[in-house]
Amino acid sequence: MSVTVTRRPRRLRTGYLLLSLVGALIGLAFLLPLWWTLVNSLRPGSDTFAFLNPLSWQTFFTLSPNLDNYVTLLSGDLGRAIGNSLFISVVTVVAGLLICAMAAFGLSAIPFRGRGAIFGIVILSFLIPFDAIAIPLADMFRDWNLQNTFIGLILPGIGNGMAIFLIRTFFLAIPTELVEAARLDGLGWWGVFRRIYLPLSRPALIGAGLTLFLFQWQAYMWPLLMGTDQNHIVGPVALSNLQGQFNVDYGVMFAASVILTLIPLLIIMICQRYFIQSVSTSGLK
Amino acid sequence: MTAPGARIQRPRAASPLPGTRRPRRRSRLVWRPTLVALAFLSPALIGLVLLRLAPAVVAFWQSLQGGGILSGGEHFVGLDNYVELFSSADFIGSLLVTLLFTVIINPVQVAIAFLLAVLYTRRAAGSGFWRSLVILPIAVPPAVSAVIWSVIYRPDGLGNAFLGMLGLPAQPFLTSPTQSLTAIMVLLSWVGVGYWMLFLIAGINDVPTELYEAASLDGASAWRQLWTITFPLVRRPLAFVLVADTVSNFLVFAPVQILTKGGPEGSTNLLMHDIFNRAYTLGDLNTAQAEVIILVLLTLAIVAVQFRLLKSEDAA
Repeated sequence: MSVTVTRRPRRLRTGYLLLSLVGALIGLAFLLPLWWTLVNSLRPGSDTFAFLNPLSWQTFFTLSPNLDNYVTLLSGDLGRAIGNSLFISVVTVVAGLLICAMAAFGLSAIPFRGRGAIFGIVILSFLIPFDAIAIPLADMFRDWNLQNTFIGLILPGIGNGMAIFLIRTFFLAIPTELVEAARLDGLGWWGVFRRIYLPLSRPALIGAGLTLFLFQWQAYMWPLLMGTDQNHIVGPVALSNLQGQFNVDYGVMFAASVILTLIPLLIIMICQRYFIQSVSTSGLK
Repeated sequence: MTAPGARIQRPRAASPLPGTRRPRRRSRLVWRPTLVALAFLSPALIGLVLLRLAPAVVAFWQSLQGGGILSGGEHFVGLDNYVELFSSADFIGSLLVTLLFTVIINPVQVAIAFLLAVLYTRRAAGSGFWRSLVILPIAVPPAVSAVIWSVIYRPDGLGNAFLGMLGLPAQPFLTSPTQSLTAIMVLLSWVGVGYWMLFLIAGINDVPTELYEAASLDGASAWRQLWTITFPLVRRPLAFVLVADTVSNFLVFAPVQILTKGGPEGSTNLLMHDIFNRAYTLGDLNTAQAEVIILVLLTLAIVAVQFRLLKSEDAA
């Protein structure tokens, strides 16, 4: 992954050490709040503030980690809320990827008049940020009786201009000669989409899938407006509701934070390479 | 070219465009692709129009209505809601806070993301690992990061514990009108910088290695290479990141709603929160819709200005 390949070893060595040190310090600083969250999730809530004044090694480590908080979490309402988040996000990714990839294909592979205008609509729709129009949309959804339904929570996530844009950029790099050849061999447009574009675009699809997933997983305002009853409340909203209460079990709160972070984290870690590729290169270069 | 016989055997629908270059099929050539493309596009288009564009139109329409139940039903009031907004000290305050926030947080985040991207694309021990640690917080949902930092920012929390270790006095953070906005910017940057860095790393990795080799042979220092090779060649990802970051920071809501509710003294009352507050706490939906329209227009203006800037840079 490294870019700079200097051919002078002596200069490299000092720079190498310095860069390594700075890189490590910054990395650790970014890790710190999460690490603290993790450690606190593994010990009783009463210990959260026990080791802060003054700071000691015990602030960031515990000798008796246990999963009690997680057990409490998963058997409670908060666990259910996290399950709701998971369901909403997975459905969004599957439905959203299909719809967005199809749209990207229509915008990149098939030349037709008015393509520019339609691409303009896509761009405009992603320039109008979702959160900005969430309040009028919530008003509309209430009229359509979609409040406190999973459909109401999922729908806004599946038509994602950003995902369309990402996939389209990748699709545009696929040579038109390839399409022409396939068409001459008698492959229909759906076949071109299904057999040529989709398999060649895995990195873009994974990147776009990640975008769709994170949109839903990180959503806060929309679920706050749309689904706050016990059966539909999502993890982040349920967690932040703890915030205002008097007797907060900090251990459980941190455990929920860890799970809500760990799930997207694992997905990002697995997809990281594809994600970066989807932003930068086309597989055909 | 497909053989004529093969074309006859095949049903039309299965093969929309046989013999593409034949003049006889001209009208089909023009219309078929359009229909096919629209078929591919329609689910997304319907979704985007209904879920993104329609609400903006609805918001605009409702922003021109007023009255409500007390004064005999909704009726057209023209720009009254906008006039009311601009004469409201809360709204003006919110606008100023949002502008201050925008002007500070975006350049800072993009600059940090760029420098980190440069740092983590150099060859160094454990570079990939340390980079992952910076990226790590992007997995934290905004609401969760707000909850975590609410504990860090408590008077007896981790933040003051660190200040104590350095021998500095305890700070009020979120309860101080002068510190609250900065406190929110710090937590947002913790989450955001790694994400933007990913795009810039991708851009930097796209720069051909030969350019650096050539520059090294010519004796250009690493610092010089950074500004004469890396920076100009990642200008496009930088542009994208700046636009996207600005828009996303314009819409910050969760941390404000969870941590400060806009306070203290309106010091963190960013536009999104002001809209939410107006619509649901004050129950003035029509005026809130007017504010939605202003927010959307401001967002579009920012994007337009930034694209213009980048374009003129390209021309230069």
